[in-house]
Amino acid sequence: MKLTRTGDSHEYDAEVISRDGNTIRVRIGDREIAATFTPNADGGGILSMDGRRYPIFVARRKDAIFVCVGPASFEFKPAETAARRRARGLAAAEITAPMPGKVLKVLVRDGDLVEAGQPLIVLEAMKMETTLAAESAALVKHVRVEEGQTVDHGAVLLELSPPPASSGRESGPRAE
Amino acid sequence: MARLTKLLVANRGEIALRIIRSARLFGLKTVAIYSAADANSAHVGAADEAIAIGPAEAAKSYLDIAAIIAAAKQSGADAIHPGYGFLSERSEFAQAAADARIVFVGPRPDVMAALGDKVAARRIAVAANVPVVPGIETAEIVAAREFAAQVEYPILIKAAAGGGGRGMRVVAEASQLESALEAAAREAAAAFGDGRIFIEKYLAHPRHIEIQILGDDHGGVVALGERDCSIQRRHQKVIEESPAPGLSNAMRAKMIDAALKLARAAHYTNAGTAEFLVEGDNFYFLEVNARLQVEHPVTEMRFGCDLVFEQLRIASGGAVPEPAAPRGVAIECRINAEDPEHDFRPATGTVLHLNIPGGPGVRFDSHLARGIEVTPWYDGLLGKLICYGANREEARGRLVNALGEFSLLGVTNNAAYLRDIIASEQFRDAKLSTRFIDEFFADWKIGFAEIDAAIVAAVIAAGDAHAEADAPKPNTERRSPWDGLNNFELWRSRR
Repeated sequence: MKLTRTGDSHEYDAEVISRDGNTIRVRIGDREIAATFTPNADGGGILSMDGRRYPIFVARRKDAIFVCVGPASFEFKPAETAARRRARGLAAAEITAPMPGKVLKVLVRDGDLVEAGQPLIVLEAMKMETTLAAESAALVKHVRVEEGQTVDHGAVLLELSPPPASSGRESGPRAE
Repeated sequence: MARLTKLLVANRGEIALRIIRSARLFGLKTVAIYSAADANSAHVGAADEAIAIGPAEAAKSYLDIAAIIAAAKQSGADAIHPGYGFLSERSEFAQAAADARIVFVGPRPDVMAALGDKVAARRIAVAANVPVVPGIETAEIVAAREFAAQVEYPILIKAAAGGGGRGMRVVAEASQLESALEAAAREAAAAFGDGRIFIEKYLAHPRHIEIQILGDDHGGVVALGERDCSIQRRHQKVIEESPAPGLSNAMRAKMIDAALKLARAAHYTNAGTAEFLVEGDNFYFLEVNARLQVEHPVTEMRFGCDLVFEQLRIASGGAVPEPAAPRGVAIECRINAEDPEHDFRPATGTVLHLNIPGGPGVRFDSHLARGIEVTPWYDGLLGKLICYGANREEARGRLVNALGEFSLLGVTNNAAYLRDIIASEQFRDAKLSTRFIDEFFADWKIGFAEIDAAIVAAVIAAGDAHAEADAPKPNTERRSPWDGLNNFELWRSRR
């Protein structure tokens, strides 16, 4: 299966090769990793691999898997969405809210041609402004929000389509 | 002398909980207030009573002076503690409390107005012979350009009414000035309800060192040492320690003297902090935070005191204590809901699991609990981990270990980042400046081994779901690969 880490452009191709009791063999890309997992009473467990022991907690929620490796926190999602995006020749076909918040500024209009890195929307969340920029050249198909509007995590703010002359050139998405 | 009986805590999160603890020790009944987003929050349960104050939006809840005063009257509270942030440095709030004959646990309104305003505070500092960084108050582009040309770029733009780094921007060159001014004014207005802007010369490599002060109604003022808060991201502190490593006794004495002069000149009462920038043998007054600081626990651990308890004693008419001799070293780090691999982007989520560290010299101030939702409405401080040691290496070692024990599932956070910083040789060698993170940890990534471990855990947990998604299925509607599973399952239940 392919996983993307939230906020990360990298796609991880990984699968369980075999599992026998506590002993697990997993393939990540072209590497094979042997590990053992020992559950703890608190719902987590200890993952041993490469001679190191990691305290692990895992939970699955809707379309995400949350993992803690000690203090390091991870969120994974299935990578299908990213693949579909690339098939359309865009880094992202939609600009979505990376967190719930308020739309402070909409910097583009329907029909605008934008370049990679061009600021599109300024969002405020947790008292901080975050500027969402285009990840590749694109045509603004539809602005779906207005300034002052409150949006949820994952809400579609803008729809993008490939720019007229240059579709399919950009590489993968840089960030969500 | 006012004998207090009941304290309303006009705040939320870890600080509300922390204040309630000391108020109870002081013998007070406590009243929590909460917004619609915080109805299930820890401070609500910890207080003797709790009053809903408004919707999630801070402007209509934790920043609504009339609603909070009404809640205090309704509950019969005779004192209000503002905590930090929100209304803590708004003199109108202190005044409104005074008008309602409620004791405000903080400085008097006129003192707050003078010191909370960066421009007036500078005037007091200059008059008291305390050195200041060159700066002006203006949001006018023309005046800003003139000033910048005079002192040369880079310059720093910040909220005149603010604190905590919000609305702060470094402007490297003239072309960025106008948009930075606009954005800073917007953020200042949103965060503090006051869009006034202060501009100053930006020092390239300063340390941020501050002095804790306490003043009483009888003219008594004491200083409780310093805190080095140089390690900041987005101009917000993330790691604080006391004493400041390498600070000479002579410098420390000079800075404490300056802070005491300021406090006396301003007739300061209750807890406050004089912030300074230190570069080489020079120090410059930055501002006074007329309230309890987020990082106050490092002072408490070194001085063996309870600053909130002292605040309550002072507010009741008591005298400031003679400070004990400080001992050892304390280091604090702030665990925030943010993604340090992506420009500290704020994160939200629900706490699915929490592992809290322990052991000698370890303190964790936090409102976190399993099931608590971290919302986008307020700042992302999840908790403060503070470690004490006989010396810096002991405190540092304990903090590294404690962060290693910490685990928070469900909300992206900076705990692993903090662990790596505190374990680093740059931190060990105390190469401290406000540029520390830019210089050493701007491009930090989680280690490959930990990513591998996370992927292994994720694919095992997803194993069955994967098989299901690959199997042919009726083409009815959009399905996610995890469909058919419960929304929430811990690993163990999958085995």
